[in-house]
Amino acid sequence: MTEDGEQVIATTGLTKHYGQVHALTDLDIEVGPGVTGLVGANGAGKSTLIKILLGLLEPTSGRASVLGHDIATAGEEIRRVVGYMPEHDCLPPDVSASDFVVHMARMSGLGASAARERSADVLRHVGLDEERYRPMGGFSTGMKQRAKLAQALVHDPRLVFLDEPTNGLDPAARTDMLRLVRRIGADFGIAVLVTSHLLGELEQVSDHVVVLDAGHLLRSSATGDFLEQTGSLLVEVVGGTTERDRFGEALAAAGLPCRPRGTAVVIDPAPQLPVHDLVRDTAADLGLGLMRLQPDRHHLEDVFLQGPASAQQEVARG
Amino acid sequence: MAERTGVIHDLGYRRYDGPRDGTATIARTLYVTGLRHAFGLGRSGKSKILPFLLLGLCTLPAAIVVGVVTLISLDELPIGYASYTTQTQLLVSLFAAAQAPVLFSRDLRHRSIVLYLARPLPAPVFALTRWLSLTSALLVFTLLPQLVLYVGALLAGLDVSDQTTALLKAVALLLLTTTVVAGITGLISSVSLRRGFAIVGSIVALVVVPGVVTAVQAIAQAEGADDVGVAAGLASPWSLHSGLADAWDAGVTVFTPPSGGWVVAYLAVAVLVAAVTTAALVRRLMKVASR
Ligand SMILES: Nc1ncnc2c1ncn2[C@@H]1O[C@H](COP(=O)(O)OP(=O)(O)O)[C@@H](O)[C@H]1O
Ligand SMILES: [Mg+2]
Repeated sequence: MTEDGEQVIATTGLTKHYGQVHALTDLDIEVGPGVTGLVGANGAGKSTLIKILLGLLEPTSGRASVLGHDIATAGEEIRRVVGYMPEHDCLPPDVSASDFVVHMARMSGLGASAARERSADVLRHVGLDEERYRPMGGFSTGMKQRAKLAQALVHDPRLVFLDEPTNGLDPAARTDMLRLVRRIGADFGIAVLVTSHLLGELEQVSDHVVVLDAGHLLRSSATGDFLEQTGSLLVEVVGGTTERDRFGEALAAAGLPCRPRGTAVVIDPAPQLPVHDLVRDTAADLGLGLMRLQPDRHHLEDVFLQGPASAQQEVARG
Repeated sequence: MAERTGVIHDLGYRRYDGPRDGTATIARTLYVTGLRHAFGLGRSGKSKILPFLLLGLCTLPAAIVVGVVTLISLDELPIGYASYTTQTQLLVSLFAAAQAPVLFSRDLRHRSIVLYLARPLPAPVFALTRWLSLTSALLVFTLLPQLVLYVGALLAGLDVSDQTTALLKAVALLLLTTTVVAGITGLISSVSLRRGFAIVGSIVALVVVPGVVTAVQAIAQAEGADDVGVAAGLASPWSLHSGLADAWDAGVTVFTPPSGGWVVAYLAVAVLVAAVTTAALVRRLMKVASR
C-alpha cells in the first residue's frame, strides 16, 4: 500500500533550534502515500516539523521536499497542493462554517462557484451538514475540529497535515475523527500526515508510523511491523492479582516460561509443549475462568520501552 | 491506495480537476473581500451600522453644500475639497480606528492567519493586500463626499478646469494621507489584538496627537516661534495633511505652514511613516503565523 515508490515527504538532516531549545535534530524521514502517523510526546517536535514543511517556519539547517518540491524554493507550489489542519483554534467565531470554508477555498485558488460546491461537499463529508450555516463560535470542540478539517480538504489537496486532530475530543468523537482520517487516506486518495501525542491512537488508521522523541527520529516503519506478533501468548483469568499469580505459578510449574503483565500473564514461546492444552487444563485444575487467550503483539508503546538502541536498526526502512 | 483520478468513489468524494487561480487572482479576491469587510459588507448586519453611519455623517454636509450652491447660485464652493477632509477628519479617524481591527486584528486574534499563510499567497503579499484594502476603504470614505461636491459644483455651472484642478490636488493629498493612516491604524490593530485597545490606540494617534499638535502650532504662532509649530506638524498624519495642503495652496490654512525644505521634510516623513508601518505590518503577521 505504501510501496508504490511515490515520495510524498523527504527530509535530510532537518534541524530546528529555537534559541537553546533543539526542537528537531538531524531528522531524516521519508513518507509515502497513504496515512502516516507522526507520533511523539508533547514537545517532541511534531508541530515544528509540519510548520517547516509548510514554509511557515525556516529550518535552522537541513533540507526537505514535499511532493517533489523543495521547501526552500517552492513554498508556494507546496501550499497550493497541501492542506493544513493546525493543532490550535484558528476559526473566527462570528462566521458560519460554510462562509469560512468557501472563503478558504478561494484563498487556495478556487473560483467562486467551485468554492461553494466543494465547501458543501466537504462539509458533508466531515459531518457538518446541518450546522454549516451557524456561526462557529457556538460549535463544540468536535464540530470545530470538523470545520478545521473541512478547510484543509476543500481545495482537494494531494497531501494533508493533520496536527492532533483528536485533541480535546471525547472517546466517541475521537473514534469518528480517526475513521475520517482513515477515509481521507484510503477512499479520498489524499496522502495524510497525522500527529498524535497518544502513542497507541494511530495504530489502527496509519499505514506507516514515524516516532519522534525530543526532536530525534526514534523509529519509522510500516504499522504492521509494530504490531507483528511476538510469538508469545497473552492469557488472563477471572479475578485479581491473587488469581493471576496462582495461575502464573501453576503454569510455571507445568514448564511454561511466563511472567505477569498488568492483569494478564505473558507466556513466552515454548515450541516443544502443547501450550494451549496446558493453559486450558491448568485453569480447569485451579477452578479459574479463562477470560482472554490471544497472541501477544507489539504496540507503539513498546518502541519507547525498547529505546533508541534497538530502534536504530529500523530507521533505515524509511 | 485509491488512484488519483476523477472517479467518483463509492463514498461520494469528488476530486477537483478544475482551474486554480494564480497568486495575483487570489490576492485580488482577498483585496475585494477585505474592502467589502471594511464597510461591513458580507459580514453580519450589525457590522454595517457603524461604517455606514460614519460614511453618511461624512457625506451629508457635502450634499447640503451642493444643495445650497445650486439654490443660491454661488460662484464658488463655500468649502474646498482638501479642507473638506480637514473639517471631517474626526469622522475619518473614527472610521479608520473602528475598521482597521476588522482587517488586522481578527485574523491574528482568532489565529486564522495560520490558515491563510498555509495557502499559496506569500505572507508579505497577504499583509500588503490587507493594507491595500484598508487604504482603499479610507479612500472611498474620503473621496465620496468630494465627488458629491465636485458633481454638485459642475451641475451648478462652476468652472470645470478650476474644480478639476482643486479636486486632483485633494485626491493626491488623500492618496498620501490614507496610506499613512492605514499603516498606523493597521499596525496598532495588529499589535493590540483586543478591539477596544486597538480603537483607543488609533484614536490617540489620529485624534489626540493631532489635537495636541494644533494647540502647539497655535501657541508657537502666537509666540512667534513658527519653526516649533512647523516641526510639531511632523508628529501626526493630519497635521502632515493640512500642512502640505496649505503649502500646496489647496485651500487649507494652518497656524504654522511649512515652506521650503520643510515641505520636503513633510513629504518625506509621510512616505517614510507609510513605508515603515507597512513593513512592520508584514513582519508582525509573519511572526504571529510562525508561532
Ligand atoms: N515558537 C517557539 N519558540 C520557542 N520554542 C518553541 C517554539 N515552538 C515550539 N518550541 C519548542 O520546541 C519543541 C517542539 O515543540 P512542538 O513542535 O510544538 O512539539 P509537539 O508538536 O510535538 O508537541 C518544544 O520543546 C517547544 O517548547
Ligand atoms: Mg504540537
